[in-house]
Amino acid sequence: MATTGNKNINSKLVLLGDVGAGKSSLVLRFVKGQFIEFQESTIGAAFFSQTLAVNDATVKFEIWDTAGQERYHSLAPMYYRGAAAAIIVYDISNQASFERAKKWVQELQSQGNPNMVMALAGNKADLVDTRKVAAEANATGFVLQLTCLQEEAQQYAQENGLFFMETSAKTAANVNEIFHEIAKRLPRVQPQNPSGMVLMDRPAERVASASCCS
Amino acid sequence: MYGIQSKRDLALELQSQIPILRPSIHTRRAQIVVKFQDLYGFTVEGNVDDVNILNEVREKVRQQGRVWWALEASKGANWYLQPSIFEGQSLKASLKLSALANAITLKKLIRKGIPPVLRPKVWFSLSGAAKKKSTAPDSYYNDLSKAVEGKVTPATRQIDHDLPRTFPGHPWLDTPEGHAALRRVLVGYSFRDSDVGYCQGLNYVAALLLLVMKTEEDAFWMLAVLLENVLVNDCYTNNLSGCHVEQRVFKDLLPKKCPRIAAHLEELDFDVSLVATEWFLCLFSKSLPSETTLRVWDVLFYEGAKVLFHVALAIFKMKEEELLVTHHVGDVINILQKTSHHLFDPDELLTVAFDKIGSMTTGTISKQRKKQEPAVMAELDQRLRRLNSIKVDDK
Ligand SMILES: Nc1nc2c(ncn2[C@@H]2O[C@H](COP(=O)(O)OP(=O)(O)O)[C@@H](O)[C@H]2O)c(=O)[nH]1
Ligand SMILES: [Mg+2]
Repeated sequence: MATTGNKNINSKLVLLGDVGAGKSSLVLRFVKGQFIEFQESTIGAAFFSQTLAVNDATVKFEIWDTAGQERYHSLAPMYYRGAAAAIIVYDISNQASFERAKKWVQELQSQGNPNMVMALAGNKADLVDTRKVAAEANATGFVLQLTCLQEEAQQYAQENGLFFMETSAKTAANVNEIFHEIAKRLPRVQPQNPSGMVLMDRPAERVASASCCS
Repeated sequence: MYGIQSKRDLALELQSQIPILRPSIHTRRAQIVVKFQDLYGFTVEGNVDDVNILNEVREKVRQQGRVWWALEASKGANWYLQPSIFEGQSLKASLKLSALANAITLKKLIRKGIPPVLRPKVWFSLSGAAKKKSTAPDSYYNDLSKAVEGKVTPATRQIDHDLPRTFPGHPWLDTPEGHAALRRVLVGYSFRDSDVGYCQGLNYVAALLLLVMKTEEDAFWMLAVLLENVLVNDCYTNNLSGCHVEQRVFKDLLPKKCPRIAAHLEELDFDVSLVATEWFLCLFSKSLPSETTLRVWDVLFYEGAKVLFHVALAIFKMKEEELLVTHHVGDVINILQKTSHHLFDPDELLTVAFDKIGSMTTGTISKQRKKQEPAVMAELDQRLRRLNSIKVDDK
């Protein structure tokens, strides 16, 4: 639950999504500014914390990076219970992971905290650029497919009260931004300061470099 | 076991770090973090105190070895294999008495640790693995390995994914040979019990079993006896329902054994399962240093699954004062993780686990499990039905 004190906000954040979508990579990029191919596999969920300064407040995220096979999903409620925010991650090159993301959104909508700030992350955005040339060359329609998915995701997010970003843990694109945006949207408990609620369409105003987050 | 490092650095690291351990510069260097290799080849990070503790542990292991050898000399090589008092109904009174005496000696002895060289033999017989193996044909494991070779299932795919992620950087486990051995054990088991198949977490357990048991076949039978006899049912199957049950039992035990901590954590709205789930699923192998983990397993194989509760409670208990002054969930987790990662002295942990936590009989724990089962089943069932009732929106 987001709790405040002197504009210090502690907020539990959970990452959910298909295996391989890049949840751990996003967290590692955000918390340590790194990208590693083979991380020790996580059992249940891994915990991280990271503090962000946003406008009027300091937000300390308590991050739960969930992991594991289907059977581990029965543990998920313990990680999203009381969470103030969630990032639902899918892999832009994998349609099935998008379908799985929608299921997580639905589970959170029916079971999670009703005021939860939810972000939809279309991860591995770097794949668009690297494969563009190849795709055009052999006309597989790969780029077209990704573009369709992007529009579909954008629309889905809008209809379901999430905000959507394409991210890349590999290049760091939009990684800090997505966490910043969540931080800004977290409800402030002080009633005289509702700014967190109305920033819906403003882009993240501070583009932090990866090095600021270590 | 959590410290990861490329294996090429291991030997170098070990050599270059050991010379700094002279006591005269001990205090000055106490804050310096060094990397070193522990008894089972894992690279760990710690300060000089930790290195010293590990050296003391090595010495204690040697002493403990002498105790075991002396007992073998006086009582005979396989004295601990004598029929246990529980099976010995038809034995003569004098024999019963000696069996009883042996059982008491053995329990104490095992809590003080089985010497690493004797572990394969002692674990194999006391856990029941030897008996399990003896009921199967001699060629069971080889036949199984051959029969499943080249088969692809969801379990084998997940296993292949996890092999390079299981203790990466370990000088044997993280080699093609180590991967292949671990793969055969896990894949073999996935075909032996299709309900379990493969569950993440077992990769760590099986990897440590391989390191201790030395042979794949013995590691396989240890895994089998662990899942089929030692642990509660369904820890790794069926939505991990057995694991959910253990977590609820644990949550019931904490206020009884550590009331102040439990009250404080309740105030912080901290769910102890957030940390304890991994402990129970990996049997502490991802959290405790290797020799400490194996000391826990020494007792686990002889006294049963209740040992996991003792140890989990002890980790909380050891940091009671620190935990009581925390204000945030994050601080609680950091304390527990740091504590468990630095428990290089197994005796420190096990003394708290058994002396301070006090006795819990397998009978009472079983009763508690029975009590929790219906609630767990109802909860899991409810979640499943809810998820199924969400209609898939075709947007
Ligand atoms: N190209 C690319 N690969 C990524 C990106 N994020 C993660 N990966 C890779 O995708 C795989 C799965 O990532 P991981 O973070 O373990 O996924 P998780 O199962 O959701 O935690 C790994 O091999 C990563 O290296 C990304 O942004 N771009
Ligand atoms: Mg992950």
